[in-house]
Parts: sequence; C-alpha cells; structure tokens
Amino acid sequence: MIVQVLTDVLVASVALAVPVLVASSGELVGQRAGVLTMSVEGMMLTGAFASVIGATTTGSALAGVLCGATAGLLFGVLQALLSVTLRANQIVTGIAANALALAGTTFGARLLFERGTAVPGFDRWAVPVLSEIPVVGPALFRQTPLGYALLAAVVVLGILTSRRTGWGLSIDAVGEDAAAADRAGIPVLRIRHLAVLGVGLLSGLAGTQLALSEVRTFSDNMTAGVGYLAVVAVIAGSWRPVPVVVASLVFGAAQALQFTLPALGVDVPFALLVMLPYVLALVAVAGLVTHSRPPSGLTTTFARVRAA
Amino acid sequence: MRTTARTAPAAVPADTAPSGTPKAPGTGDAPALSLRAVRRTFGPTVALDDVTLDVAHGEVHCILGENGAGKSTLCNIVFGTVPVSSGDVLLDGAPFAPASPADAIGRGVSMVHQHFSLVPTLTVEENLLLGRSGLRPDRRALRERLAELRADFGLVVDPSARVDRLSVGERQQVEIVKALLPHPALVLLDEPTGVLGPAEIDGFLSTVRRIADSGTAVVLITHKLAEVMRVGDRATVLRGGRVVGGGRIADLTPERLVTLMVGREIGGLDAVLAATLGVTGPDVAGPPAHGPTTTRARARARAEEPAILEVRGLTVLGPEGARRVDGVDLAVAPGEIVGIAGVEGNGQSELVAAVSGSLAPEAGSIHLAGETVTRASPARRAALGLGVVPEDRHHEAVVPGLSVAENLLLGRLREHRRFLLLDRRSMRTRADELAERFDVRTAGTDAPLSSLSGGNQQKAVLARELSLDPLTCVVAAHPTRGLDLGAVDDVVTRLREAAHRGVGVLVVSSELPELLALCDRILVAYRGRLLGPVPCTDPDARDRVARLMMGTAA
Repeated sequence: MIVQVLTDVLVASVALAVPVLVASSGELVGQRAGVLTMSVEGMMLTGAFASVIGATTTGSALAGVLCGATAGLLFGVLQALLSVTLRANQIVTGIAANALALAGTTFGARLLFERGTAVPGFDRWAVPVLSEIPVVGPALFRQTPLGYALLAAVVVLGILTSRRTGWGLSIDAVGEDAAAADRAGIPVLRIRHLAVLGVGLLSGLAGTQLALSEVRTFSDNMTAGVGYLAVVAVIAGSWRPVPVVVASLVFGAAQALQFTLPALGVDVPFALLVMLPYVLALVAVAGLVTHSRPPSGLTTTFARVRAA
Repeated sequence: MRTTARTAPAAVPADTAPSGTPKAPGTGDAPALSLRAVRRTFGPTVALDDVTLDVAHGEVHCILGENGAGKSTLCNIVFGTVPVSSGDVLLDGAPFAPASPADAIGRGVSMVHQHFSLVPTLTVEENLLLGRSGLRPDRRALRERLAELRADFGLVVDPSARVDRLSVGERQQVEIVKALLPHPALVLLDEPTGVLGPAEIDGFLSTVRRIADSGTAVVLITHKLAEVMRVGDRATVLRGGRVVGGGRIADLTPERLVTLMVGREIGGLDAVLAATLGVTGPDVAGPPAHGPTTTRARARARAEEPAILEVRGLTVLGPEGARRVDGVDLAVAPGEIVGIAGVEGNGQSELVAAVSGSLAPEAGSIHLAGETVTRASPARRAALGLGVVPEDRHHEAVVPGLSVAENLLLGRLREHRRFLLLDRRSMRTRADELAERFDVRTAGTDAPLSSLSGGNQQKAVLARELSLDPLTCVVAAHPTRGLDLGAVDDVVTRLREAAHRGVGVLVVSSELPELLALCDRILVAYRGRLLGPVPCTDPDARDRVARLMMGTAA
C-alpha cells in the first residue's frame, strides 16, 4: 500500500515537474547571462497553444512539437529584441508579454480550436527493466518520447553551459560584468541574444510537453503560473544547475499534491492545494534569496559606446 | 628599430592555440602602431583632434597628459571600444579599424585597463580562459603559457584563486598576464599604476621594461612623470585632445614635460601639484605657504585642545561579515590635517562611511564636537558641523540630474522655504553666491549639475560641505581623484584654509605624495587597522609610510 502511494505521488510529481524543469533550465542560462526573462509563462502558453493547433491541423504530434518550438523561438526573438537590443525594462516587458500571450491564445483558441477535439499526442513508453524498479522506475522511465528527448536536452544543455566549458564561462562572465567580458573579447550581445532565444525555445517546448504529453488538449490559461514557477526555481536554486533541478522537482511535487492527496482520501480543501506551489514559491524567494547572490549584471543592459 | 627577439610560442602547439592568436609582430619597417590625423568627438566635445603618432616595435611609448586630455580615448580607439570620427589607424602598416575588443585582440592588441576588467566571481584561470576558448578550454596549454610568462617576465599568479579574494596588486598581475597570453604585438596600459602601492609600482615598471625588450610595442598612458622618466623610450604629450609635443625621453626633461602637460611654466608649482604629477625633489619650488613650518606651530597649539573628531575601537563589518574596519582608534584635533594612506580596499572606504553616517558600525564609538554620534543620522552629524566629501562623487555626493543650485542647497532646503513651497529666488541668490565664492564655473546655477566638468562638480561638493555653519570637521575621501591640475590646486587650498580656521580635516587618499605634501601626520590603513602615525615633518616620512602600506613595521 505504502509503496503504491509513494509510486503514485512520485509519478505525478515528475510528470508535473518536467515542464517546470525544461523551462527553468532555459531560464537559468538566460539569467546567468544577465537577462531576466519574465515571459516564460507566456512562452509556455504560446508553445502549448501552437503545438495543439499544429497537431490537430496536421494530425501529427511531431508537427505539433515543431509548431510549439517555433512559437517559443519567435516569442524569444521578440523578448530578445526588447530586453537586449532595445534595452527595455526586462520585468515590465516580460509581464506585458505574458498578458499578451494569455489574451492571444485565449482568443486564438476560440477561433481555431474546438473543445473536445482529439489532439494527437505522445503515448508513454516504458523503458524495459528500468521501469520495473520499485517506486522510482515508473516515475522516471515511463515518459513519452518527447519527455525523454526534453530531459536529454536539459542534461546536454547543462553540460554544455557548465563552468567547465568556454561557453559556460562566457555566459557567467557576461552576466557578472558585461563590460569586463566585452574587453576580454566576448561577444556580449550575441551571447545574451542566444540565451534569450534559448529561453524561448525551451519554454515553448515545455508548453508543448504539457499540452501533448500530459493534458492532450488546450484550455484557456492552461499553464496557470507554471512559467512563473520556473523563474522562481532559478532563484530558489541560487543560479546553480543541481539546486535548480531540485527546486523544479519540489514545485512539481507541490502541484501534484492537488491530485494525489484527494485520491488518497486526505480531506484538504482543494483550493489550498492549488495554492501550495505558489505559497512555496513566495517562501522560497523570500527565505532563500538572502543566502544567495544573483549574477551582478542581472537585468542590466549593455551597450559599448554611442555612435559618433 | 629593434628586431623581435621573443621566444617562440613553442609550448603551445599551433593547432591547439586559440584561434585569435595573432602572427608574430612584424619585423618590417612599419611602426607597430600609427595614428594619422585621428579625431574623435562626443557630441559637442572634441576628445581627440588631429592626433598623429607612431609607436615602434620594442619601445615603451608614454602618452602623457592631464585628466581629460584624451589619453583614455586614444587607448579605447586602438582597443576597439570607441570608433574614430575621422582619421586612420595603422597596425604594422596595415589599416586597422577594430569594431570590438575581440577584433583588436585578434589583431594582436592587448590592453590593461584603468579599472580592472576581471570578472570577480571567477577564478584567475577562468578569467584567463575567457574569450579565448571554445567548448573545451585548453587548461593545459594555459598552464604551459603561464610557466612561460613566469620564466620570461617573472609574472606569478595562482590560477585557482578567486579574483575577488586577491589584493589589488595581485589583480594587476593577473591583468598583465591576461594581456600577454595571446602573444600581443602591442600592449596598451591605461594608467595601470593608479591603484598600486609604491613597491608594486616598482615591480610593475620593471615588468613593462621586460615586455618591451622582448620586442612588443608598449603604450603607457600615465600622468606620473617619474614613471615616464624611468621606463619610457619616447613620450607624446596630449593637452585638450591635441598633441602638444614629445620625442625621445633622453632628450626631454621633467620640467619640459610638465610645461607641455600643464601649458604653463612650473616655476611656482605647489608641492601638492608637483606630487600629483610625480615630480619630486629639487625640480619644484620649495614648501608651500602652509607647509611644515606652520605645521609645527599648529602641532604645539593643538596639543592643548580636545579632539574635534574622535573614533574609539571602531569595528565595521563588510557585506559578507568580514571585519573591514577592525578596532580603530583615531583623533583629529581642530586645525589639524590628518591623512589616511594605504592601498585601496584596506578599510578606508568603510571607515569614512561609518564616520559620515552611511554605514552603521558593529562596535566602538564616534564622537564629534563633544557629542557621541556613533549611530546618529547624517543630518545630525551635519548639524554638528561635519562636512563630508565622499569617495564616489556621482553616487554619493551629488544628484547629477538636479540643478547646481539644488545640489548646493540640498541639505538645507528648510532655510529656503516659504510656507510649503521652495523659495526659488532666495535659493538662486544663495547658490550664486556659493558658486562665486568657491569658483564653481557653471553656465548658471540653473544648469544641471551633470553639465559641469568633474573638477567643477567637486568644487560644488566642497562648496556645499565647507559652507556648513558651524563647520567643525571635514572628512574628504580621495578629494582630488580624477581632477585636472587647476581643480586639484583649488581643492587643496580650500582644505588648507579650512584647517587654518580651526576645522579638523581627515583626508583619505591612495596618492602618497599628495598626502605627504598636505597633511600634518599620516596614518596607514592596513587590513582594517590604522598603523602609524607618521609625522609629515619626518624626513623619512615617505619611506616609513610606504613600508607601513605593505604591512611591515616602520
């Protein structure tokens, strides 16, 4: 009985943690490069919407992924243009972009998507043997092909952008002191542009994962703040990869409780459970932030010199 | 011209060398660097005008000039952070118009900046790998190159140390190593000795000489003549963005160079000004009017008087809990000028912040004019007559966007209030009078403070702080930093006048010669403690203070 409960809780936690994890690993790179992308929420929602429309129109889940990724990337282009090229306030533009995405996708869904339509998605595929491991096996090794691909991408990204690589060093240097990085010959603006595009791509894919692997449909505001959780996970994880992964898992677990606790017959008001991840997020930011130091250049902009 | 006699980069195999490695410096007839009629404007300001000069391979070419003469702009043009407005730059005879520092580095130009350009949270090794490595940094090649630099130039760095844990001298060493890593054909040094102690400057200058002797062209930007005379081969003097003279150092005298820099004869040059320029000894006029003779008289007089500013057992913690000021005792008598020397980062800034009321001390007490003000607000301290000239003019002393008048009267708006509104007319009258008295040159006191030159901004700060009524004590942190000679003269004169009126003056500076010329006695900040005092009348004062700055007993 206990084993079964644990297994169920873990399966639900990981399922809900994967989108947070994918988005936060992109956001981590962006923030390390000094750009605070607040529009992760909007990027995820747009990615989810585009993937559902793409998949239903073509009948192919793979085409849906392509659409979700492209939408996220385009959103990233817009945000990079605002945050890096035009040096606009990153928090204000990010939040405005989120509002735009919510309105746009809600309107788009009225136009293009009929409720109840079957959405081609991805089925779970269990890795032989590994998925038989008690408790952990079903949670980790019964993902959809998209889920595996994204988890692999997160790992590869983490390795490529670690401090052990020249790229990772450059990213940290740009986020700490853009002027110093520039004098060392690092292309500051290119790195920041790429970082924000990466945030867009991964957030779009995170939304796609949510839509095509988990929910299998689109509903208004279906991300419901998960994008903000991804931003918080980066802060709560002190801008270091492993703690960010852990924070993403915690947020996933907190979301999962709203499904698992009622199923277990624990009598807690549903609304409180829905609130839980966001309460945790507030506590994490207020309580943990004093012990960690953000990249010195976070939200600052860079321009070398005025034209003659 | 010297032919290149540099060691081949044998330790770094060609295929693993970073892609940006330039070819060996040219051995042809073309100078390493040529500027032809270079002009650069910033809006209406002409920073450089018709500048033409040549730097040969293997020579140390000094660019001299006062602040604002265009020295740094020249460096920035060659390093690709500022484009020219017109004119040509040639590198080894080939046209050179770098769009970015990366471009310049790729063509064999390295630069050591006036302000450090290391990323503090990375290690030395990571800083050295920055911008020169792709996916997999070649740490082995780097270590081999470091061994080479140690053998060739005696440069030693600890690759695994985090940069923010290093002393300024060690950081400077890392900066130089970073500049030399890619086998540059030309090294630009932009006022590299500003933050160093006397011993570190000596070491640095010998390194510069060895770099040039290895065949690399070196451009040394400075305003210190002593350095030029020691290591320079040629000098070019800039004034107001134009080349006003130069030539082989062997053919030039320090007097000639000062005359060129300042644009006037130096016969009556004040000792403090001479010190600022790095001219010492018999080249300058005798002691200043308020020099050591009056110092002794004042020293006798103040022995009877109680201190106007007294600090007892003061401890101030830094942001990470380190003791930046560690149990410091300090007393300034009325009419006394006390200097605090020391390499930057030894607690001077925190001491000033605690005394001026912007940082709460952890332990100890501060007494001003007979009252305890340990945790009093800056307003209370000002009411007791404490004038503060902060270290960071833009961030702490003024509000650049407000007008000159508003900045001058910011602390006493209450005196210019009519009902609930400000009385603009009386503010204007008062500000005009202050600007006149302190010689603040403005286009009117309505103009924004940011429209003033650095020197005049500093004069405005002095005008505000020294016109406090009553004025009992002045704390000035690096009051002459970044000012041209006229302004330095003015600031120094004002501080001396204040001391003569019986005001206690505490001056923090890293420019030892200036302090020696200005103060009655000098304390040395070293790792949060104050060593000394050394009386400035002591003939060995300079050596004693220099030794204390390195933490060795006087």
